[in-house]
Amino acid sequence: MTDFKTVGKPVSRIDGLDKVSGAAQYVDDLDFGPGLLHAAIVESPFAHALIKKIDISQALKVPGVVKVVTGEDFPYTFGLYMKDRFIFARDRVRFVGEQVAAVVARDARTAQKAARLVKVDYEELPPVLDLAEALKEKATLVHPDLKNYGRCPWFFPRPDTNIAHWRKTRKGDIEAGFKDAEVILEDTYTVPRYAHCAIEPHVIVGLYDMAGRLTLWSSSQSPYTQRHVFAEALAPLGLTHKDIRVVTPYVGGGFGGKAGVSMEIIGAALAIAVRGRPVKVRCTRAQEFYNTYQRQGVIARIKLGVKKDGTITALEHTMHWDAGGYVEYGANVVNAAGLSATGPYRVPNLKIDSVCVYTNLPPGGPYRGFGYSEFHFGLESHITRIAKMIGMDPVEFRRKNAIREGDTLAYGAKMNPNGLHEAIDRVAQEIEWGRKETSSDPEKAIGKGFALFWKAPAMPPNASSAAFIKFNEDASLHLMVSGMEIGQGYLTVMAQIASEILTVPMEKIRVETPDTDRNAYEWQTVGSHITWSCGNAVKAAAMDVRDKLFEVVHRAHGVDKKMLYLEEETVKCRGRSDFAIPLKDFVINGIQTPHGNFLGGPILGSGMFMPEFTSALSDPETSQGGHPNVHYTVGAAAATVEIDRRTGKMKILKAVLAVDAGKAINPDLVKGQITGGLLQGIATVLYEDIRYDLKGRLLNPNFTDYKIPTAKDVPVEIVPIVVEVPQPDGPFGARGVGEHTMIPAAPIIANALEDALGLRLKTLPLTAEKIALELNQISYDDVKGHYMGLCFLGKPNEYDFKMRAK
Amino acid sequence: MAITHEFEYLRPATLGKALKALAKYGRKAKVLAGGTDLVGLLNDEILQPDAVIDIKAIEELRALEFKNGKLQIGALTTFSELLESDEVRRKFPVIAEMAGWVASLGIRNRATMAGNICSAVPCCDSGPILLLYDALIHAKSRDEKRKIPIAQWFAGPRKTVLKNKEIVTGLSMPEWDIPHAACFVKLRRYEGEDLAQASVAVLVDKANNYRIAYGSVGPKPFRGAAVEALLTGKPLNEALLKKAVELARLEIQPITDIRSTKEYRSHMTGVMLERGLRAAVSRLAGKGPAYGASLI
Repeated sequence: MTDFKTVGKPVSRIDGLDKVSGAAQYVDDLDFGPGLLHAAIVESPFAHALIKKIDISQALKVPGVVKVVTGEDFPYTFGLYMKDRFIFARDRVRFVGEQVAAVVARDARTAQKAARLVKVDYEELPPVLDLAEALKEKATLVHPDLKNYGRCPWFFPRPDTNIAHWRKTRKGDIEAGFKDAEVILEDTYTVPRYAHCAIEPHVIVGLYDMAGRLTLWSSSQSPYTQRHVFAEALAPLGLTHKDIRVVTPYVGGGFGGKAGVSMEIIGAALAIAVRGRPVKVRCTRAQEFYNTYQRQGVIARIKLGVKKDGTITALEHTMHWDAGGYVEYGANVVNAAGLSATGPYRVPNLKIDSVCVYTNLPPGGPYRGFGYSEFHFGLESHITRIAKMIGMDPVEFRRKNAIREGDTLAYGAKMNPNGLHEAIDRVAQEIEWGRKETSSDPEKAIGKGFALFWKAPAMPPNASSAAFIKFNEDASLHLMVSGMEIGQGYLTVMAQIASEILTVPMEKIRVETPDTDRNAYEWQTVGSHITWSCGNAVKAAAMDVRDKLFEVVHRAHGVDKKMLYLEEETVKCRGRSDFAIPLKDFVINGIQTPHGNFLGGPILGSGMFMPEFTSALSDPETSQGGHPNVHYTVGAAAATVEIDRRTGKMKILKAVLAVDAGKAINPDLVKGQITGGLLQGIATVLYEDIRYDLKGRLLNPNFTDYKIPTAKDVPVEIVPIVVEVPQPDGPFGARGVGEHTMIPAAPIIANALEDALGLRLKTLPLTAEKIALELNQISYDDVKGHYMGLCFLGKPNEYDFKMRAK
Repeated sequence: MAITHEFEYLRPATLGKALKALAKYGRKAKVLAGGTDLVGLLNDEILQPDAVIDIKAIEELRALEFKNGKLQIGALTTFSELLESDEVRRKFPVIAEMAGWVASLGIRNRATMAGNICSAVPCCDSGPILLLYDALIHAKSRDEKRKIPIAQWFAGPRKTVLKNKEIVTGLSMPEWDIPHAACFVKLRRYEGEDLAQASVAVLVDKANNYRIAYGSVGPKPFRGAAVEALLTGKPLNEALLKKAVELARLEIQPITDIRSTKEYRSHMTGVMLERGLRAAVSRLAGKGPAYGASLI
């Protein structure tokens, strides 16, 4: 084992001082002077309607209004994986709150007032709010033009239906697998939509200057991808990539909601409309809920067959996703789930159908976990249930079936090295699995729940990262990368990697936030892939710099490059203890020769990484043949919960999560991810509870009635465990962990609830209300009258998974 | 989002000037104390007043004192002040208990008890507590000065009997003259700040007098007359408790809304009444959970 100086050490965050001192600037902090214009969005009041006429004349008369923009001004489509959206709705609106027009004015109040004067005539259409309705024969179509949309090659829409994508994965012989089974369990699980609730709402400022350059200051996880989507959408106006610049300062949380392009397209369009003046578009908290992205809802049918010795023989997993009015990003969530809905198990015979369905609800999109949190709830509930049915301990059942390196994945490729079995053992030990606990309060019961999890980054096969390094005179350095610091500690980890290779201490490294004009390329900060992918690029850049340092020393001193090494910011030479050239002596100004001239000059390095082994090309009927995922990160988690039988209230006494980080570049940051991810996950289980009315209006786009955790909601004890089985192609063996820490939250709690009280709940969230009413056998109306929490109006166990759409 | 509606903002230095302004604008004016409710309503354009009369500069409305056997709470007294007052904690610990469950620290630092009952939402935390103590609401206009019993104060959701030209100057309530204990139980969706899904306030004294009040289970906070009648004069026992819980579920009128089903409200009102009564009785005996401890 190499003895590292910085990697693997719990060094302090390099953005810490910026943030605690208030020096950190976010988009809304940037000062654009008194000329800054403000926008207000005219929103659709209907979930589904035709736009008959838009009259902007009254709005234009308001003093202070600079411009009113509608879909006619920007008749262009956009989208990351599927071009199914217009910049402003044209002809048709598809969810309540969709942008139909925007008013730009000298101040925000004027813009808001004038926006109310834009008169839009609509012809209401029946909204598609129920998955069963959406999939029936002759359903109302949300996108009649679906067949004409540009899309990535791994999506398979069904024209003239509401099916935007259908991922089919087939392996082995499913019928034979169920014939072999001695016990079969089949059941339905449902997971509603969720909202990200980043503390900083989306905000973008755009300036299209008189020379034709479009600059956007954006609160984003994806500066380069934004630039690319803007360039594609605005190409008809003659804008090219070099004309567009996206600057992303610090971001106040993302959780996937700031990936891709959602409301930011409005900022880009409005900047063009008011050329020469900067214009700001800032989401209200309500807009943050309904016009960025939401996590998609899903109803899933799981049929699992096992032998009495616990061997899994077959799995049929059908998922119908409520993807909302546009799926330009969300369809890829559906795709990711469809490739991986086996969970981290050996499943010889397999049939997965993951179906992306258009509805007239807000657009679904990426959210920490990217479909995996959703399907793990059902699958990991199911695993515990079937283990109990055959009289086997649920942890033992998992040990028996847990995937190992080299096993064949659902799509035919091989499983990467992983520490899943170690994670199971360590979590079981820490939670004292098998030791029954009783509460001192007779009203309360204690139970334990266990679950495994896995996730792969969902990315195009050629998603890549790059890095630049440049030295300063004192041998401090700037690292210029384009991943986003969204709280996870990315900047610190990148600096650690550069520090390790170059022996430059952390305090002498500044990692710049992205500016697409200056920093190197990065696809997006999503998929928990940035430590792995960008880390590889930074490592490559640092090694490039090291080579250049040695080259200069070699030229100036004639020493063999192979004998040179770095130590404490100094170039040293093996076998020559007196040879030491401090970096600060030459990284800018070179090394002087006896003739008085200098050799070398400013040292710059670059590096890049692309996973050249991946491919999204496969048989659409089976998903066999490709290598869509780079690798999986795995782990195990458990919880001990105490539940009040009468109130249904639950206290998490202990939560344990072990994740295989490959190599924890910074163990403190990994532990931070475990704490934060678990807390975010637990919130989606216990109290985040989205509600729509029967017109498709979101009823709780606020923190009054959509609850996110506070410090008081943290479990009594959280034990983070870091497993390290190196990822062969990761920097120092590292792989990502960010999303994974949230994924097992729902099943560990659902399983603990059943363990404590024998109550199995199959629809999230598991609110105290739901638990108390079930336990006390009080019948109730879960849809709360007209407050719809799920994207179907019937009872989950009566949902018919047969697809009637042609 | 900015408040787009335009209005006159007035900040009178005396009550007289405030009443004069109110007389001028009448129903077109809104009085601002803490503003934690009003500003949200202005933001959402649910209210569009011609004038907002900010009373925070009126020093005489700030008093919080115990005098002549009565607790006097000024119109500007915040929940934080109630929570931190030694006098309140000693003589009316259940008020501090309730104040501690109101919203979050930042809101408690601004929100006033008078504003809470003027907003008169069915879930207001102050309502049930004031009902326990027969509090009086002091209202003043240019023409008259009156004291309105809390039992007559609420007229429905977001409705009170306050007249257009009146300002609430404060509240008062007598100290309970028999040794007593009380309890406020609030049902919330999580551990952070929340509006009550349902609430129950309970008071019991050495002479076996009982007071019960509910919040969020009817159009306004109200006293549990039937349960009080059942219990009064009797020491609490298991059979009585059981009957009280059954009766409570009959005398409330919960509805289903985004925060809860009526079934859960009904079920939990019973649970909270039972636990509240047990806690109050054991507090009276010098035992029981400390004020502020969560019972659910």
